[in-house]
Amino acid sequence: MATPIYTISPALRCLRNPARRGLIPLSSTHSFKTSTQRKNDTLEATPTSSSPTPPPNLDPNTVSTRLEELQLLQTGIHPIGSRRRRASILSSDNVPFEQMPYQCFQEARAVLAEDRSRKLLEIAEMRKRIAFWQNVPASDLGGEYAKKGKLVRMQKHLANLKILADVNDPVIKKRFEDGMGDMNRPIYRYLADRKWREYKRKIIMQRISQMHIVPDMLPHLDPTAEVSLGFGRRNVQPGEFVDSRVSVIPARLNVRVFDKGERLVSIAVVDPDVPDEERDSFGSRCHFLAVNVPLSPTATSIPLSKLKKEEHIVHPWLPPYAQKGAPYHRLAVFVLQQDDVGRGASLDIKALRDNARNKRDGFQIRRFVDKKPLRPIGMHLFRSKWDEGTDGVVTKAGIEGMAIEFKRKKPEKLPYKKKDGARYR
Amino acid sequence: MPPLCLRSPRLSLFSQTCPSFQWLPLLPLHYSRPASHASQGRANKAAPGPGKRLGAKKGASELVVPGNIIFRQRGTHWFPGENCDMGRDHTIFAKEKGYVCFYKDPETHPKRKYIGVVFERGMKLPVPRNKPRIRRLGLVGREREMGTLATSTPPGVISGEGDEGLEVGGMIELGDTLRQQDRRTKEKVLELKKMELKQGYQYRESNAHIGRAAERAQVKVREYQRGDRSLARRKSKARKASSAAKMALSSRKKKGSKKGSKK
Repeated sequence: MATPIYTISPALRCLRNPARRGLIPLSSTHSFKTSTQRKNDTLEATPTSSSPTPPPNLDPNTVSTRLEELQLLQTGIHPIGSRRRRASILSSDNVPFEQMPYQCFQEARAVLAEDRSRKLLEIAEMRKRIAFWQNVPASDLGGEYAKKGKLVRMQKHLANLKILADVNDPVIKKRFEDGMGDMNRPIYRYLADRKWREYKRKIIMQRISQMHIVPDMLPHLDPTAEVSLGFGRRNVQPGEFVDSRVSVIPARLNVRVFDKGERLVSIAVVDPDVPDEERDSFGSRCHFLAVNVPLSPTATSIPLSKLKKEEHIVHPWLPPYAQKGAPYHRLAVFVLQQDDVGRGASLDIKALRDNARNKRDGFQIRRFVDKKPLRPIGMHLFRSKWDEGTDGVVTKAGIEGMAIEFKRKKPEKLPYKKKDGARYR
Repeated sequence: MPPLCLRSPRLSLFSQTCPSFQWLPLLPLHYSRPASHASQGRANKAAPGPGKRLGAKKGASELVVPGNIIFRQRGTHWFPGENCDMGRDHTIFAKEKGYVCFYKDPETHPKRKYIGVVFERGMKLPVPRNKPRIRRLGLVGREREMGTLATSTPPGVISGEGDEGLEVGGMIELGDTLRQQDRRTKEKVLELKKMELKQGYQYRESNAHIGRAAERAQVKVREYQRGDRSLARRKSKARKASSAAKMALSSRKKKGSKKGSKK
């Protein structure tokens, strides 16, 4: 490959064997390959058929200078792994795992392979047993309920075995870390879930409790899907203050679910901190509401601006705003899975639009979730307060009643009790 | 004692004459017996100082307004609960108008005692875990002027119309006068000085006001252009010329002084 010399000049080791530069057949196959689903096992097959092909001199596995990375990114392909690793791949011998000359390593691989083959036998056995018990009449098992419970337990065990079979595979671990994991396979969903729970979920849980999302908005919340949010190119961390000029445009959501299958979700953006001067309290307002949005482990991106108006959107995006002097507004983005008898229960959008209770002002997410077969699976949160751009934003959006500034009420005094006159005589 | 006596011949002589008092000369002239028990301090139950007036200042379900002290204490016998806070010396005070409530919240902390304020008499604390909080706004809305769409751009120099064009920058007081040229009318106009009584009886313009003098005079500075080499060249030329002139001047002075010293 015609890689310019200056790109590799810092890495002197490359000069030892210049013939290996460019596209290198990396660790080809891995030995405990038994699953039939795996097609793109080798690393060369990384770019899928749908993605654009990279320029011939740029391999996502080996680009190691910023310029090359930029050129590759412009074609829409992300470089794989760290730059340090890519640089080392460029100069390494790339011996596949099975040919590595380390005795202990090879012994360990043999142990793992044996364990995997045992697990595969167990899986086959479990499948047979499940098929058997499905055909047994419920009356022999102590009723329909008991039979269902037994089958559910067996299915759970089967799913567990599937993960245990693959979880120790070094190639699977590598592919996951490279971001090449296929989310249709249980092992990669399991690994992604584990990684999410290690840090990101903890953060969102902390924000939920710190900012009183529970119990102000929902009585209980146990997120099972990773939700990330951004405006344009700007990513938003959970609970971050977002400038009103930034949040004018509809947000783009990215929702990763870790259980298999397609489903429909509703998305609601609710602000529970609307000042209500008459009641001396706070009201609630819906900034966005969309229903029947398809979601699966592989299709994660939900740009709110791209959702179809007739099919999905009940309330289009209303830019978040806060009156001057008012305490900060929390804007909670809820992803609600539409669970009915079966998945994919679509909500009647016309009825939702007509229902007076689903108006923007006074929208209660608690009630909305309670009255429908909805289950909150994920949430994100950002905050907004009055800033210099707010006046412009509200004028453009045609929002009324913003020529107001909140000031602190003069604190009341305790009712004065006059002491009896005898004391002063 | 005999070895002691043996050491000194004089003592031994004395001891011979008066054996029963042989150790007397070793004693100091003044002797005081050390105390075996402290006479002052806590050992003898120190008399109590002035009372610190600690304890509850408000009883349960008593009306409080923001800032009212509910409990004074040393340490945290009580913790601040709903709508309450704790001061520097662990004093519990109210943050909202309401009624005092003393309670325990075993779900949060099994051992702590809390003081809270509820908005309505008879409300119980702690509230159930999943019940939405009751919050008060505590603010009043006032009318205000809305900003324009162009608020994000820095505000320009305000200049009125016609005759009022003289009033630049919205100054109120008329102090000393300065001559300035109006851009449009090409007339010398008054610049208003805004004098203030500053710290230490200084009657002068504020620094911020002085700093905006150029803006008021509508001085326009040429915009900086990156890579404008011709301007840079001109500037450096001028700088060099001026420095050369200075050098020449100083050297002439030095020379002159040297000559003078020689003479």
